[in-house]
Amino acid sequence: MNKTFAIVKKELHSYFSSPIAYLILIATLSLFNVFFFLIIDQNHEASLRDIFILMEFMFVFLIPLLTMRMFSEEKANGTMEFLLTSPLTLTMIVLGKYFSMLIFFTLLISMTATYYFILEYFGNPDPMSILSGYIGIWLEGAFFIAIGLLVSSWTRNQIIAALVSYALIFLLYFAASFTKYFSGSVEHFLVQISTRTHLENFAIGIITPSNVTYYLTGTILCLVLTRLSIDNRLWQ
Amino acid sequence: MLVAKHISKKFGAYQALDNVSFEINKGDIVGFLGKNGAGKTTLMRILTTFITASSGSVLIDGEDITKHSLTVREKIGYLPEKPPLYGEMTVKSYLKFAAQIKGVSAKKESWQVAKVLDDCGLTRVDKQKISTLSKGYQQRVGIAQAIIHEPKLLILDEPTSGLDPIQIMQVLALIKNQREQRTVLLSTHTLNEIEQVAQRVLMLKSGQIVLDESLDELLKKKQLTQSHPVTLEQIFIDYHQDTPLTQLSTQG
Repeated sequence: MNKTFAIVKKELHSYFSSPIAYLILIATLSLFNVFFFLIIDQNHEASLRDIFILMEFMFVFLIPLLTMRMFSEEKANGTMEFLLTSPLTLTMIVLGKYFSMLIFFTLLISMTATYYFILEYFGNPDPMSILSGYIGIWLEGAFFIAIGLLVSSWTRNQIIAALVSYALIFLLYFAASFTKYFSGSVEHFLVQISTRTHLENFAIGIITPSNVTYYLTGTILCLVLTRLSIDNRLWQ
Repeated sequence: MLVAKHISKKFGAYQALDNVSFEINKGDIVGFLGKNGAGKTTLMRILTTFITASSGSVLIDGEDITKHSLTVREKIGYLPEKPPLYGEMTVKSYLKFAAQIKGVSAKKESWQVAKVLDDCGLTRVDKQKISTLSKGYQQRVGIAQAIIHEPKLLILDEPTSGLDPIQIMQVLALIKNQREQRTVLLSTHTLNEIEQVAQRVLMLKSGQIVLDESLDELLKKKQLTQSHPVTLEQIFIDYHQDTPLTQLSTQG
């Protein structure tokens, strides 16, 4: 556990030692703030439902940018050899990387918690539906990060890592949009794999076991595949 | 300390290593020679568990490297050909990180970091970002991370490559100083360096061991057949060309 924590610390230090992390935080929060006031002004509702839908859409674009370097950079710089010849298990390496990005992402969305207090001041929001929305967006972010981490373990090129992550995340995000071209089990499958289907419930305050299972299964599957990919030295 | 038995490694159809066997005793400094592509780096990567051999076995300090990979890695310090450094970190924070992932206890961590900073002549630059250091200093940081957990076996892949003569001298002195504390296996193209630090020579050619002998014995043996002083460089060339250079010199 100490070794995993050492990787988490090193990764977080690495994000915050460059201006990119600060730029991403400032740019994302600024955009969220603008849309928050626009949406509230238009809907006149003490609810963050539409904000969560917007956040999901923005994370589709943001997360591959955050995750593209996670393993690709290690491989390109030769530091992967350092990690893999140190007395670390592959699980420690994967979890250390994953948790560090999850902490960064949690920090990013926790900064939007001020929206609840603004709504609380001016109106009467439902705290449970807002909490449910945050759980949903956090689970979805956790899933997207796991996808980005997996793709980053396949290549030493950060641009390729970002593009393939975009392709996979877009596919999951827009899967439900293709249902009009299909019917029966394919249509059902597309609805089930679409992230939008699952987040919509969280955004309106409904947490169902199937929605939670979807995100947890997807995340764990990607982490297991990442471990396998590193074990097989697929990038070599 | 190290027993390698019948190691072979294939990359697709290419045979990188072919039935390589050798032993290294505790406290030895062994020089690893071979042309580019001879299989030196592949063999070092197998010994450090970075890649697995297609067949054969390796025991380090009595433990099989595939069955007890984690325990074995605690006993190995490794400097790859390109020093594995994080440019955005300071020297000290990088060595602390290396100490933590290599299992140095929290109690010993600060003391151990201070010791390797001193041993490797890095104390003066410990707060500097690694990316701002000269190549020589970066190489020393690479060696420092390899010895931070006091490994029994130190494996160095071309530790002097790309350094200027002064930096080479400093790195070789650092390697010599390891002699009393650990077994060292180093590869280099510069034969003069092997003569300066190693007691034994292993030579690889096309993935096979073609020479495994103590440096003194080897030079003595060759000297008996020659009328002029023999160098390791001549011996190396002999093994890599059809007509031995030592014979050419005699004929001339």
